[in-house]
Amino acid sequence: MFRFIHSSDLHLGKRFGNFPEDLRGRLRESRHGIIERLASQARDNGANIILLAGDTFDTETPSPEVRRQALAEIRHDSSLRWILLPGNHDSLQAAQLWSDLKADAPDNIVFATEAETIALAPGIVLLPAPCTTRRPGRDLTEWMDRADTPEGSIRIGLAHGAIRSFSEDDAASDVIAPDRAKRAGLDYLALGDWHGAVAVDDRTHYSGTPEPDRFKHDRPGQALLVSIAGRDAHPEVRPLETGSFLWRSVRLELLSSDDAVETLEALLPAERKRREILMRIIASGRTRVAGRTALAAAVAHAAPEFAYLELDDTGVETECESDDLDLIDRAGALRQTAETLLAQSNDEKRNAAERNIARAALVRLFSYCEKIAK
Amino acid sequence: MKITALRLYNVKRFAGKGIALEGIGDGVNVLCAANEFGKSTSFEALHALFFQPHSGTPSDVQRLRPYSGGNPLVEAEILTEQGAYRLTKQFYGGRRATVIDIPSGRLVAQADEAENFISNLIRGGTAGPAGLLWVRQGITGIEKRSRSEEDGDKRARENLLTSVQGEVEAMTGGRRMAEIVDACNDELHRLVTPTMRPKGGGPYEAALEHHKRLEEEEKRLAGEVAALREALDKRIIAQKRLDELQDPEEVVRRRGDVDKAQAAYEKAKEHGAKLKTAVAEATLARSRLDSIKQELETFRDALKRSGELADELAKAETRCGEARARREAASMFLERVMADVKAAETEEHEAQQLLARLDAALAARKAAEELTELRERLEQAEAVRKEIEEGEAAHIFLAVPAKAAEELQALEIELASLKAAREASLPTFSVVYREGCDGRVRRSGAPVPGALECGFEDIDELEIEDVGTLTLRSNRPADADAALEKTEEKRRGLFESTGVSSLAELGRRQASANEKDSDLKLLRQKLDHLAPDGVVKLREEVARRDAAISSEPEVEGDPEAARQVHDAARQKVTERLNRWREAQPQRGNADDMLTRAEADRAGIEAQLAHLSGALGPLDKRELREQALANNVARQQRLFEEADGYRAELEAAAPDIESAEATLRRVQSVQDDAARESEKLRIDLAELNGLISTRSDDAVEELWREASEALAAAADRVKKFEAEIAVLDRLRNVLQEARSSARDLYLQPVITELRPLLGLLFDDISIEFDETTLLPQTIRRNGLEENVDRLSGGMREQLSVLTRLAFARLLARDGRPAPVILDDALVYSDDDRIEKMFDALHRQSRDQQIIVFSCRQRAFAKLGGRVLEMIPWTPTS
Repeated sequence: MFRFIHSSDLHLGKRFGNFPEDLRGRLRESRHGIIERLASQARDNGANIILLAGDTFDTETPSPEVRRQALAEIRHDSSLRWILLPGNHDSLQAAQLWSDLKADAPDNIVFATEAETIALAPGIVLLPAPCTTRRPGRDLTEWMDRADTPEGSIRIGLAHGAIRSFSEDDAASDVIAPDRAKRAGLDYLALGDWHGAVAVDDRTHYSGTPEPDRFKHDRPGQALLVSIAGRDAHPEVRPLETGSFLWRSVRLELLSSDDAVETLEALLPAERKRREILMRIIASGRTRVAGRTALAAAVAHAAPEFAYLELDDTGVETECESDDLDLIDRAGALRQTAETLLAQSNDEKRNAAERNIARAALVRLFSYCEKIAK
Repeated sequence: MKITALRLYNVKRFAGKGIALEGIGDGVNVLCAANEFGKSTSFEALHALFFQPHSGTPSDVQRLRPYSGGNPLVEAEILTEQGAYRLTKQFYGGRRATVIDIPSGRLVAQADEAENFISNLIRGGTAGPAGLLWVRQGITGIEKRSRSEEDGDKRARENLLTSVQGEVEAMTGGRRMAEIVDACNDELHRLVTPTMRPKGGGPYEAALEHHKRLEEEEKRLAGEVAALREALDKRIIAQKRLDELQDPEEVVRRRGDVDKAQAAYEKAKEHGAKLKTAVAEATLARSRLDSIKQELETFRDALKRSGELADELAKAETRCGEARARREAASMFLERVMADVKAAETEEHEAQQLLARLDAALAARKAAEELTELRERLEQAEAVRKEIEEGEAAHIFLAVPAKAAEELQALEIELASLKAAREASLPTFSVVYREGCDGRVRRSGAPVPGALECGFEDIDELEIEDVGTLTLRSNRPADADAALEKTEEKRRGLFESTGVSSLAELGRRQASANEKDSDLKLLRQKLDHLAPDGVVKLREEVARRDAAISSEPEVEGDPEAARQVHDAARQKVTERLNRWREAQPQRGNADDMLTRAEADRAGIEAQLAHLSGALGPLDKRELREQALANNVARQQRLFEEADGYRAELEAAAPDIESAEATLRRVQSVQDDAARESEKLRIDLAELNGLISTRSDDAVEELWREASEALAAAADRVKKFEAEIAVLDRLRNVLQEARSSARDLYLQPVITELRPLLGLLFDDISIEFDETTLLPQTIRRNGLEENVDRLSGGMREQLSVLTRLAFARLLARDGRPAPVILDDALVYSDDDRIEKMFDALHRQSRDQQIIVFSCRQRAFAKLGGRVLEMIPWTPTS
């Protein structure tokens, strides 16, 4: 039984410039922690080989700190062997990176930087397809079809890139043939690039990133533990938890009769975990003016408990009934203002941006009235 | 609220002193005092008491302090619905504020609580807003003031309006509205300036700045990343190329190519050198052959020429002989002719001499004859000369000078005219005889003819018959005839000098003198004819010729015949000379011919001598020719051999140029490869440096970070923009709603103001500015005018009236407040000021008005309670 860990897209050194300063540091730090978490999972599960299917580094020129600290972490447990494949973020075009890595690398790193077979163990052959450039423009795994391996040895493919639409980049010109495993007689094809774990078929898997870095996939970070009994045996694939931060985007469907705040509370995770959660609440549906301001206030109130919490309420329709306006004033100039704004927000002749401004102004007026009343 | 007393101590010019205004009552109170009596000081102190916290020292408080320092103290007593209080404030040292309930003397509040108590009096609270009811000297409330001051007043006016009209509040949103507008504005102005520009130091501006900075940063980093990637790509290409160049097989191949080409080139070069030598040798042989051939040819030509010249020499010598013979013949002929000429010349000479002698004899005879004739002429001439001398002497005796004759003539005429004049000037008389008495008058005895005028000189006597003698006296002056006498004297003198006695004699003498003169002329002509050069000369001529008469021997012969002989001889000479001359050219021709013939011969001889030198002795000439011919044949052979060798080499020559080109090409391939390798190594080193620097800088990480941050910043800016748009929209809608509501709620003030205006002005209405709540435009006679354009007086009046209207509103609301005017009507004329007084009194029915003025006389008409300043010292 041959057992190994399949992971990819570590994106070491990613900086998260779009987040607040202190969160950035934490997110970055958590990426460095991936190495130790993968190593410990390997040890726990009796695997001594870790295949990294590309994008180990976020850029072609990671800072020396990122690079050297990663290498130091790997060197720490010499019983594990790490196979590094160049991905599109750290392609072979980044020659400096790879030469620096090779210069500093400990013995337990195997660089899969050539498209030629590597004997991982007796009877086990690795067929890597390193990314030669950022956009190779061709299927780099093609050579696997023709690669000879000793009779009866297990063939494991290692590649980075898109199959059909599974691409983190929009470019789709250089897709990997979805049936490459079958064509090349691979027992397992370990893929990287897509940050969510996906089984393309029972022999072809994207491991997903061990530590998520965006809201897109909405699932915890994981790696795959792959066990292969022998040539042509079906690989057994099991996900392993590796993430430290959880990235969640949550849909909040509102009905005007609902209490928006209550609905929200139901969606939020347990308080203690919130520190490790980045959450985006995507609100939609309809709500009354009061509900809307209450929702915004509730989110603003909860935000400090989270690593990050944001409310996207652009999809929410604000409903305004006469009793809503009564909350502002029953008559007089304020009531007049509220009615004018309401009329503007419903005026079909105005464009959407104009109407949104009017609606927001109305909500704002409402919140002022509430504040003053208090 | 009403003020009942005001006291102050140690304020401004009252250092160490105090004054008090006691008993201020309802209605109009007037404090009239001259300048510098402390009325403005009172006003300022009162103002400070109500508006300045006791703990602070802003400029308004500083102004209260005397120059010498000290602690200003201000005290006022007021009456409110709640009761009577004494408010006291001391600034600077011992600063304090107290409120004392007057009836009980109880301390109601002090320090900050006292301040609160006072604030409540002036703003809302029990007495409502009173700040605006103060009108300062020269300040009309319409001029521009500091913004904060303006805002404070405006707020107060608003509060007043919103508070006096409960139902209006509902309509305009009232305080809630104002607060919402404030909140909205506050939030908006945290982000933007009133002109909607990003506010300096505000979060919006910071976001924009941040965005801009990130944009630049991102651009810079993107550039660096691009440069890095470019460098990486370049390095790959360079490395690949370098590997290709340094492929050992290629290197060996390139070197082999060069060696081969080098060898081929060397060989070609060597062959080329050989060929060059062969060509030179062939050329040399050829030129030698040519020169020997030439020599042979020359020798043969000379030989041939030598033969020809020998013939020519013989001919030339023959010509020489002929020429010489001809010359001799010509010479002899000439000599003969010359002898003939000489003979004829001698003959001619003899004939000539004979002829000369004959001519001389003839001349001597002729001279003798001439001498004789000359002697005769001399004799005649001498005779004539003698006759002339005699005639001349006679003529001198007869001649009268012509001038004397003329003078005499003139004197004669003058005399005649003088005589006539005398006759005419003499007195006259005439006698007319009676019949029968003729001649009875006698003069000097002679009867005087009748009827005839007679003249007389000095005295005359007439004898009248039978009567006696009549004496006539003219009584003329004595010198009456002086001129006549003088002229007669002159004539007499002339006669004497000329020797004539009368004019007639003179004429005779002149006639005979003339006759003598013409005779002389004839004689002189005769002498001239005989001796044209004078007698002396004639005599000398005779003497000379006489001496020259020679005694030449007589020669016989006929001169004419002799002459003919001579002419013939001469003819002969000429003829013979001509013959000689004719023969002369023949001789010349012969000379020339000889010269030419001899020159020809000499030339031919010289040529022959020259040729002989070249040809050598005659006997060896044939041998020499043979030797030359042999030499030519030998040289011809040598040349053919050399040329054959050359042609052979030339045919076998390899192409040196293409060998060299090949060499150059393969050499350059090798050099280029070396150079390119070198350059690539340098490029690679540079690229390595660049890449390693940039890689260590982690520019890509930075760039990704920056671009993510940029997106976030752009998002934030967009949110701010949305926020600004929302706030702006809300504010605008609020203001629209409020201003339309405000039109309604300003109505009460206008209602209050209208009767007051009616006191001063006819037919006038006022529009209020809805933001400042002050009069903005007035309308009179159908024309609209901006308040800013009004006269100072009118603005001042409007200001006071407006405040009175507001005060009245307050009073109606049950919250009366005092109106305090400090020299407020300085611009107003007497008529208007009285009307203003009327207005004040009209208002003062339920209103306290305190007027400070220095215009004692003008304000005397105001009436009301007159206040007086009295000295005051604080009790404690």
